[in-house]
Amino acid sequence: MRTNQASGAALPQMSNESFLTLFMVGVLAVIFAIACLVVPNFFQARNVLNIVTNNWFIIILGIGVTFLLITGNFDMSVGGVIALTGVLSVWFCQGANVSQNVLANGLGLPYILAVGLALLCAVGIGAINAFFIARLKVPSIIITLGTMMLARGIAQIITHGAQRNTSLPDEFGLVGTAALPGTNIKISVLVMVVLVLLAFVFEKMTVSGRRIYLIGANSEASRLSGVKVGRHLASLYMLSALLAGITGILLASEYKAGVSNRATGYEFDALVIALLGGVSIAGGFGSVLGMFVGAIILSVVTSAATGLLLSPDWQFTIKGVVTFLAILAQRFALDRRK
Amino acid sequence: MGPVAPQKAAWASKEQEGKTVSRTSQESVRGRLERSNALRANIKRVYIYVFLVLIVAIFSVAKLGQVEMFGRGHFLSPNSIVNLLRSAVPIMTLAGAFTLLMISGYIDLSVGSAMSLAAVVFALMIRSGASLPASIAGVLVMGIALGAINGFLVMKLRITPVIATLVTLNLYKGIALLIVPDGLSAIKGTAEAPMPAWINDYARKDVLLGLPWAFYVALLVIAALVILQRKTIIGKYAAAIGGNRTAAELSGISAVKMVWILYAAVGAFAALAGISRASYMSLGDPLSGDNMELDCIIAVLLGGTAFSGGEGSVAKTIVGALIIMCVTTGLMTVIPAYWQTVAKASVLLIAVILNHLLVRVKA
Amino acid sequence: MELTDNVLEIRDLVKDFPSVRAVNNVSFDIKRNTVHCLVGENGAGKSTLIKILTGADQRTSGNIRLNGAEYAPRSTKDAKLKGISTLFQELNVVDQLTVEENLSLGMEDTTLGFLRRTDKTKRMVEAMNSLEPSIKPRQLVSSLSVAKKQIVEIAKAVATESDIIIMDEPTAAISEGEIKRLFKIIKGLRERNVTVIYISHRLDEIFELGDYVTVMRDGKHIDTRPISQIKDRGELVKLMIGKTVFEQYTLKEGACKDPILEVRGLSNQKLNDICFDVHPGEIVGFYGLVGAGKTELARAIYGADSYGGEIRFKGRRLPNSPDKVIAAGIALVPEERRSQGLFTILTIRSNVPVMNMRKISRAGFIDGSRERKISQEYIEKLRIATSSMEKETRKLSGGNQQKVVLAKCLFADADLLMLDEPTRGIDVGAKSEIYAIIRRLSEEGKAIMIFSSELPEVVNICDTIYLLYDGSLKETIRNGCDLDSEKILHTVTGGA
Repeated sequence: MRTNQASGAALPQMSNESFLTLFMVGVLAVIFAIACLVVPNFFQARNVLNIVTNNWFIIILGIGVTFLLITGNFDMSVGGVIALTGVLSVWFCQGANVSQNVLANGLGLPYILAVGLALLCAVGIGAINAFFIARLKVPSIIITLGTMMLARGIAQIITHGAQRNTSLPDEFGLVGTAALPGTNIKISVLVMVVLVLLAFVFEKMTVSGRRIYLIGANSEASRLSGVKVGRHLASLYMLSALLAGITGILLASEYKAGVSNRATGYEFDALVIALLGGVSIAGGFGSVLGMFVGAIILSVVTSAATGLLLSPDWQFTIKGVVTFLAILAQRFALDRRK
Repeated sequence: MGPVAPQKAAWASKEQEGKTVSRTSQESVRGRLERSNALRANIKRVYIYVFLVLIVAIFSVAKLGQVEMFGRGHFLSPNSIVNLLRSAVPIMTLAGAFTLLMISGYIDLSVGSAMSLAAVVFALMIRSGASLPASIAGVLVMGIALGAINGFLVMKLRITPVIATLVTLNLYKGIALLIVPDGLSAIKGTAEAPMPAWINDYARKDVLLGLPWAFYVALLVIAALVILQRKTIIGKYAAAIGGNRTAAELSGISAVKMVWILYAAVGAFAALAGISRASYMSLGDPLSGDNMELDCIIAVLLGGTAFSGGEGSVAKTIVGALIIMCVTTGLMTVIPAYWQTVAKASVLLIAVILNHLLVRVKA
Repeated sequence: MELTDNVLEIRDLVKDFPSVRAVNNVSFDIKRNTVHCLVGENGAGKSTLIKILTGADQRTSGNIRLNGAEYAPRSTKDAKLKGISTLFQELNVVDQLTVEENLSLGMEDTTLGFLRRTDKTKRMVEAMNSLEPSIKPRQLVSSLSVAKKQIVEIAKAVATESDIIIMDEPTAAISEGEIKRLFKIIKGLRERNVTVIYISHRLDEIFELGDYVTVMRDGKHIDTRPISQIKDRGELVKLMIGKTVFEQYTLKEGACKDPILEVRGLSNQKLNDICFDVHPGEIVGFYGLVGAGKTELARAIYGADSYGGEIRFKGRRLPNSPDKVIAAGIALVPEERRSQGLFTILTIRSNVPVMNMRKISRAGFIDGSRERKISQEYIEKLRIATSSMEKETRKLSGGNQQKVVLAKCLFADADLLMLDEPTRGIDVGAKSEIYAIIRRLSEEGKAIMIFSSELPEVVNICDTIYLLYDGSLKETIRNGCDLDSEKILHTVTGGA
């Protein structure tokens, strides 16, 4: 009787957001259990760890995409920005006039400077998004699809539609390939974990983080409550582009190459994990933590599919079906809750 | 007493004057506003044609470098025009229906994938011995089904159009990739299962003036959609739903049914575009429709259709589509192909700005 | 079918809302082919009655007969099919289509989907042009004025053979000249077998236009009479306000301090050269009817809309964006609490501090315990009825939602608090609590501005009352000295 009462009082207190996150954790547990039963050798320590670490780049992208999705906006340009910053960081670093081959010649800047400049360009793409969306009020999907093309297009111009991977200084490959001492966990994974934690703190504990939810919940009321909606959206777009830029730098370093068609479709993956994690564009809720859970769900499903020896071509179909099921399941769960 | 009255009168007349001044300034402001609106309306009416002529002119006058791909070495040579029109067939087929959907305030991002899937299925059917008409009919039915699925997700399950069609974009693309066997990049003729040569008949064989059936079908589609938009209730209802959905529904129009039909139509025309692509290339490439949604959006925006729906023109979208084709193929002759993406992105941004300046701003 | 004398018969109609009975046992008849006016103060139950007639709301009990047959519309569309069209304040025409296309929308004659120009369209256009010859059928509706758009809607209703057209404040947004033309058209409708139910706050219009008038007050039907039997607007005003006893206002004596807010020559599209002062500790009321410009005035001061003229706050020119205005020390409780004031999907705890995040944060980080403490404090102080501060605000009652918005604004530590329709749709208990809060604030020396279309509200608590009509300040009244409610109603309904 007493416990009944307690849970009765506790339940309405839980916000829809935590409810959905918990719901998706439940879904994750079920999917994981099924995968362990069905897929041979699925439950191995290495495998389980891989599930979390293999998708570090999507999770970093997911942070910015999640924030924007909470405010009701899309960012489809992140994949293009990855390609652009990767290519730029390579180009800036490559030795100047070292070869007959145009693609081997770069600007010969020091690595740190090259990275800084590349990130600046990434933020520039974010600023274009911000201008069109926050100032001209153009639908975000149209503009970010355009800047996706723009960023990737510039990367293609610099690499002549292919890639740059020669005459790079040694320190270029350092951050992308180095592992934490004594483990085989890459620095990139550490960066991802740190960024997710920072994002979580930002989202839940800071004033700016709170304002993301306010804008998503009611943009007019936010304006009348003194939130500078346009400026806030603009900084979120630049943040999202910066995160994509960091991912681009890390990936370029890992492969020691700037590839112009790197990260095609990543923007969709980032959107999918956000949706799987319960972020809703309809109204200001969702969280980075949910997005993280969504990312794990997606990788459990895809690695289970690989474990079942399905061809990699299955991934698009699986992602599509899983996303629809997630959207419908979440809606059903929320409806039942009322 | 005497001097007071005139003084008062002077003050009164001054006030009068002040008032008239402010009124005339108000009127002149309004007049200027009306004139600028009229100007804007006129610019809106013609700018796209001017734009097209301008681009053709630039490419015609400019000394084009690598002109061998256009035969005689001139942008306006018959050969290059034929080439341009042939490559414009898919977007010409598809953009009209896409416009109607956007006029009603909805969007379909999955058109490129639907097109790829259609190309793959079409090639597969032809290779396994189906006749041309049967294959076309079969693929068209599939296209309608793909579009109807989008319509169902958006109108019945009420998933945001952008998200629903982004997911189906990947879903359809995934299915197309699954159909193509592992290790191959497309459905094409092999030693044991050769691709009949007549797969080309639809989109490559010269029927009239160097242009194939697919082109004339596209023309027919455009003509039909222009008439559909201007003369039938479909065009009118699309505009009504995009303009003021409440008003449309109060007048007894079923927005759900209407938009659903439009989604199905877009699916069908995406399939037709995929067929012409497959027929042209003699193979079913699961990536052949990639980024088609962007080309469509650019064409529609260039054509002056409002983001929010309500107004737009199929005919102008087609002009917009021709502009994109001119820019991309025209540029290809002067600069390397890897400049294309940036060129297209720039056209998109220009289209957005033009659209912002001419369409969105109201008096 | 034999036509009855009464086109509409309403019997014992009741509509209950959770905390209030909005329509209380209303019965009256509407005679065929007349212009029937419906008057009453805000909250008298007119709009609820209309919503039941148009199918937007369902009745709790009672009977309505249309042409002698039971009438119970499920939706506005259903009502329209059954013969009752409505001219809503937000117009239902499609701007992007032509006049002709709008007229025939949904009723086109087609062959295989192709539009045909038939007699039907021609008849509709003729019907419209007989109402208003200057509208061309090929014109885009977006190029028409509001009044002409209304005429297009009226023409459409006439063409669909509606028995009744309901017009809700059709003159709120149109100019004098256009009003005259509209009236001629409305009068002409009687000959076309159309009954008009006309709702307006401008009483002169009712005398000019109406055949019958029904007065409602506090959800009850007071009287239905031919206009000819009503002597003058004074009598009508008396019927509307009844013997409402105002809560005793106590005259305040305060030293006259320097004004905190000075407004000079404030003008924009809806406002016309407005000047006034507000002093610390003063409660100022702005009273006017729908469309008088109250909300526009509040929004302009708040920096939410652009304006010309000068506003000085504490001697400094007021900046022109809400965030800066809030920082300067002004807070606004907006008119529409759900769409403008509240974050309905967020909890009470996250709603309360939004206008002054600095107070619950340090270096940009939110102090969670402080946030909870403050929310709890305001829940207690304003007596917000809730099981927990973690309740989403959409689950609260209207009165409690309004208290949350109020808490939000109080927490902003503003020296000037503007409240736009602070008690709309709130039950009596919560109302008097909110009044008590406002009084307490004024005793603390805060300046308060109340924008309201409910006379008892302003008379009850305001020290100074400004009367607004058509975007202009018409009169200033010192409460307790020269208050005369009949005269006030006279002024705000357009009387000279």
